[in-house]
Amino acid sequence: MTVVITPTMIGQVIISGLLAGALYAMVALGLGLIFGVMRVLNVAHGPLLMLGAYTTFWLFQLLGLNPYLSLLVSMPLLFLAGVVLQRVLVHRVVDAPELSSLLLMFGVSIALVNLAQLGFTSDVRSVEYLTGSFILGPFAFSKSRVIACAFALAITAGAFVLLKKTRLGKAIRAVSQSREVAQVCGINVQRIHLITFGAASALAAAGGTLVAVMVAIQPEMGQVYTFKSFLVIVLGGAGNYPGALLGGLLLGLIEQLSSLFITTQVNEAVAYVLLVLVLLLRPTGLLKGRS
Amino acid sequence: MARWLPAGLLVLLVLLALYPMHGTGYGIRTMLQLFMWIALAQSWNLISGLTGYVSFGHVAFFGMGAYTAGILIGTLGWPWLLACLAGGVMAMVLALVIGWPCLRLKGPYFAIAMLGLNEVLRVIVSYYEGLTGGGNGLSLPTLHASVPIYYAMGLVALSVTALTYVIVTSRFGLRLMTIREDEVAAEAMGIDTFRYKLYAFLLSAVGPGIVGGLAARDQGYIEPTSVFPLITTITMIVMALFGGKGTIWGPVLGAVLLFTFQELVWARFIYLHQLLFGAIIITVVLLMPRGILGVLQQKYNLPRTI
Amino acid sequence: MVDRVVKRFGGVTAVNKVSLSLEAGRIYGLIGPKGSGKTTLFNCITGVDQADEGQIRFKGQRIDGLKPHQIFHQGIGRTFQVIRVFPELTALENLLVVTTDDYAAARARAEDLLRFVKLERLANEYAGNLSYGQQKLVEFVRVLMTDPELVLLDEPAAGVNRTLLNELLDAVRTLRDRGKTVLLVEHDMKVVMGLCETVFVLDHGEKLTEGPPGVIQTDERVIEAYFGR
Repeated sequence: MTVVITPTMIGQVIISGLLAGALYAMVALGLGLIFGVMRVLNVAHGPLLMLGAYTTFWLFQLLGLNPYLSLLVSMPLLFLAGVVLQRVLVHRVVDAPELSSLLLMFGVSIALVNLAQLGFTSDVRSVEYLTGSFILGPFAFSKSRVIACAFALAITAGAFVLLKKTRLGKAIRAVSQSREVAQVCGINVQRIHLITFGAASALAAAGGTLVAVMVAIQPEMGQVYTFKSFLVIVLGGAGNYPGALLGGLLLGLIEQLSSLFITTQVNEAVAYVLLVLVLLLRPTGLLKGRS
Repeated sequence: MARWLPAGLLVLLVLLALYPMHGTGYGIRTMLQLFMWIALAQSWNLISGLTGYVSFGHVAFFGMGAYTAGILIGTLGWPWLLACLAGGVMAMVLALVIGWPCLRLKGPYFAIAMLGLNEVLRVIVSYYEGLTGGGNGLSLPTLHASVPIYYAMGLVALSVTALTYVIVTSRFGLRLMTIREDEVAAEAMGIDTFRYKLYAFLLSAVGPGIVGGLAARDQGYIEPTSVFPLITTITMIVMALFGGKGTIWGPVLGAVLLFTFQELVWARFIYLHQLLFGAIIITVVLLMPRGILGVLQQKYNLPRTI
Repeated sequence: MVDRVVKRFGGVTAVNKVSLSLEAGRIYGLIGPKGSGKTTLFNCITGVDQADEGQIRFKGQRIDGLKPHQIFHQGIGRTFQVIRVFPELTALENLLVVTTDDYAAARARAEDLLRFVKLERLANEYAGNLSYGQQKLVEFVRVLMTDPELVLLDEPAAGVNRTLLNELLDAVRTLRDRGKTVLLVEHDMKVVMGLCETVFVLDHGEKLTEGPPGVIQTDERVIEAYFGR
């Protein structure tokens, strides 16, 4: 089987890669925030995204709410869920060895998926809202992907402004630099942890809402995003928040290019090999992160 | 206590060895699975309990063993016992390939790398359809061999535990523990930590490899999702953690208790089973991260051999 | 033996062209205000950090670039500023892991060393359960398991009570009398002045001066470095 790869095809996958990458970046930024601030690897990040997707699905199904408008519901809702999780469970493992925090989050993850199975059944759901593509010269872009990318970029940009400009954002960055120093400066670290976990969950929820119109919704849909988010924060540099954007776009590109040149099925493997290489050669990420 | 322990163990072993002559088919298969879990939890303990390098992808070795044995039996017609041993060897080769780069990573980064390994193996196995049957799985010729597999599985569990005993009571084991306690100090005290980690990693892969092969033979059918589930890694970790990681008998105890609980309770709450499991994980992590034996050892200053 | 070593962290030069020369059978002190690069220099010598420039030679051979465990086997042992015993190993096991001699010989030697610092009763206690001073002694004798030629001690006196301290100082002198070299970082000036034959002074990563304790004590520059200008 020989496929001729034309420049148009390459252009198409690069654009598709960037479209997908913006979404990855947003979701991974949440994971990166939690890791940066608390040194906890949140493997339940994907299941939180899944809850966001279900929120959108039910609002669409029952109330006929525009999926993009449901961002206004899913994000605050999951923010709250994140705060509760942090308050009840996660704060107990913030300083524990990674075995404890990882296992705890696995426990949460398994429980969330099972709860979703009990509550929503394992049936595959979908939100039929936006189909078709924009055509631009030789390229075609699915409308839902373009819109998802636009929202993701806007939300990510908003998060960066928040981190860079506001008092709260500065406090979050201060805590992720050094908790002790932040404490001395009068920052309430516990509160920052709560807000961080909430905000990270809201970012996951936004991801869930945006993918809800593109992919099949089912309780186990989230795990793959956990793994992808790990890849993104490693590529971008753990604890380096702008790095998440670069990492996300890069992952999107790698996936698309490897499906063009090798095959779609192995793009996870390609991404993984890259992950190990980056970890070994640039343990602080492609941009300079914090060791 | 130390005096009657060997005697008690011997009696137990004799009873277990005689069991297949009286047990039902169901009973034998249940025990065989218990042995499998002991071998898995104990193997994980060898690398992660002793050196503190948390392997979140240990089921990869299980899957490697299962597919190696599956292909050797199904396609090349090898005798199953030999194929399973080959599964152990291949798991060790995989451990070498993965451990060589990844054991240089520290803490959470090693965990991420191991987490990814499992995903990737599943993807690769699904992809090479010609060899592995891809997503359709691989069927093995029918064979009723529960009893021999029972003995083989038991032997692996016993061997891995004996190996743990030998290691923990030797200076090799103490050096592995120094890596867990303080890797920088261990290096400064002349211990080649990388080499030790690699040895422990290789040893910890053999058991799951053989057991994976035996499980494949026992079930007669394997597919990517059934031999590479993340939940298997989590289960072996929780077993080792519950009983007491870094101890000799902790993983055995944890496997017995959790497996029994699973058989008795979870089967009745089929829908809640994962939720319960999640709750158990959270409880163990928060309330007794040192595990049953860990707590006892610390409280009563028991020797390591108990 | 240490030749113009430079170590930078990011933009900060922690150690700048420091040269030390040590002779066998003597006790050397390394002093300087906090942040003057003493521990970093130790880390460079023992391979925990890699020097960016300069050479480190031991018995005529270059050891910079070797891994910490290789340097240890060249005959350089060290202790740490913050105690680094292995808490969940017993005191005896803390010593046993160090050597590769046969087990019986290692055990006999470990027991001897514990007796040397009067800890034989606590041999089977987990190191984490010992007092701070006792842990410090365990860490000290752990270095001696392989009979190293050069021993680097990072603040051996800090947090040790008088009785234990005197034992420790005696032990250091005994070591010197057996032809071993000792280099110690210490803030307690009484200890430094009473023990060391030559003292190196670091300030802001550079070697300020070196000389016998008596001379150093009255050196204007040293006083200035410590008490500001």
